[in-house]
Amino acid sequence: MTNARSKRAASPASGMTRRKFIKRAGAAGSLAAAAASVPAVSAGAWGGETMQDAFGTFFQDQYKKMSPEEIEEALARIERRALRETGVRIKCENTPPIPGVVFGYAINISKCKGYRDCVYACVKENNLGRDSQMQYIRVLEMDRGTRNLEKADHYYDSEIVPQEGKYYLPVQCMQCDNPPCVKACPVEATWKEPDGIVVIDYNWCIGCRMCMSACPYWARHFNWTEPEVPAEEINPLTHYLGNRPRMRGVTEKCHFCVQRTRKGLLPACAEACPNGARIFGNLLDPDSEIRYVLENKDVFRLKEDLATEPKFWYFSD
Amino acid sequence: MTLFAGSALLLWAGLVVWSVSLAQSEAEAVELVRNTTPDGAEFWVMPRKSELTYYPCAQCHKLIPPNPEVRKLFSPHPSELDHGDERIWCLTCHDIEDRNTLTNLLGESVDFDRAAEVCASCHMQRHQDWMFGGHGKRRGDWQGERVIYSCPQCHDPHTPTIKPRAPKPPPPVRKGLARPLHPEAEEYLSVWERLESDDHD
Repeated sequence: MTNARSKRAASPASGMTRRKFIKRAGAAGSLAAAAASVPAVSAGAWGGETMQDAFGTFFQDQYKKMSPEEIEEALARIERRALRETGVRIKCENTPPIPGVVFGYAINISKCKGYRDCVYACVKENNLGRDSQMQYIRVLEMDRGTRNLEKADHYYDSEIVPQEGKYYLPVQCMQCDNPPCVKACPVEATWKEPDGIVVIDYNWCIGCRMCMSACPYWARHFNWTEPEVPAEEINPLTHYLGNRPRMRGVTEKCHFCVQRTRKGLLPACAEACPNGARIFGNLLDPDSEIRYVLENKDVFRLKEDLATEPKFWYFSD
Repeated sequence: MTLFAGSALLLWAGLVVWSVSLAQSEAEAVELVRNTTPDGAEFWVMPRKSELTYYPCAQCHKLIPPNPEVRKLFSPHPSELDHGDERIWCLTCHDIEDRNTLTNLLGESVDFDRAAEVCASCHMQRHQDWMFGGHGKRRGDWQGERVIYSCPQCHDPHTPTIKPRAPKPPPPVRKGLARPLHPEAEEYLSVWERLESDDHD
């Protein structure tokens, strides 16, 4: 069984890690090239890693196929690597989904005033690359009485918000129940977890960006460069499927703050909203706030005609 | 002259009370206020009294005879009352007999920590939404004990409308790309819209 697994890992599907591996091996081979292109920090035969870690990452299997011990090793490798590269001692976990919980989100668009506090809380919580300019949440400004997403302004920058005659609609990953991104992924690097969160195994992602073109909500983002976070701003509490350090050439997206919500906390965006416009909870709990909203408010979802079944509702009151 | 001295004294007393209450709030842990929905579900509300600068109000008011005449008040009271289109004033919500409590429209005394019950006298629908989670903000956890903020913690009861403020910066534009035009710019118009807007016929 183990043999079969490692054979699968060596298949071209693990292109991303293999590419890095070959690059590093090459760098080690020709010292002159290494001196010219590899920064001093990661210099060394295995890019600063031990040979065991470099091989471990290279032959690492897809998350769902790894045994608990292999996952433990993978988490330890991630922690070691973060410590070596940033000097920050992070904690990488793989908290499992809570049984009987499916997450749902609702936004009260009459309470959203477009402050973008959620956007920056998300950047901070999820270790989003500061120089790679990653943001999971987009707040769209639209004219009142219209809902033309094509004519929404993503870049509004007025002195004060809300502006007269405008309303604001935050868009992020809708954690679809029928996610088109999962169907588009050729290597099954992204899937829907039992608690409804669509997650990505960043190590398994080959960076083909098929999921990005499949997503109708502009929710997926690509790391064109190595995401860099200043050491003092790194959030050390991370999750394997969530906010752990990502690498260049992989896709990422909102994951309902999996590292927080699986421990019972609210997502960072919900906690940051000063207007209480964001309502989060368990769709399977009839007494939850989200269920009250869904049962008592006129809710709608974006692009409902695509049958993606988002678990993300909007309402106004 | 006496008026000036009086107000100075009041200000000083207020400062003392404020510093004392500050010291107290630092020492004590926040004690949540238990509430139940009409269905009997339990929820907890963040206390309010510990946030009040001049509480207990009777500290000063025991020296001042109650005056039910509708008038404008001065410091240390809020000078502005932009709530209810002049149909209400201080004593609609503040109890004239027991200065340390509020009062609802039925004339019942309501503790400051249960201020939401005063708001509910007029805003029934909002209050119901707030109790069940359709309005307001929850603190910390999505599961377990439900702790929510009380009305006056977001809305100043004297000027309850949330004031507009500056947004955080817009999303950056990738290096080498131009920032997209405003969606109503000429280039984004459809062919017929562009033809309509031209004066060439």
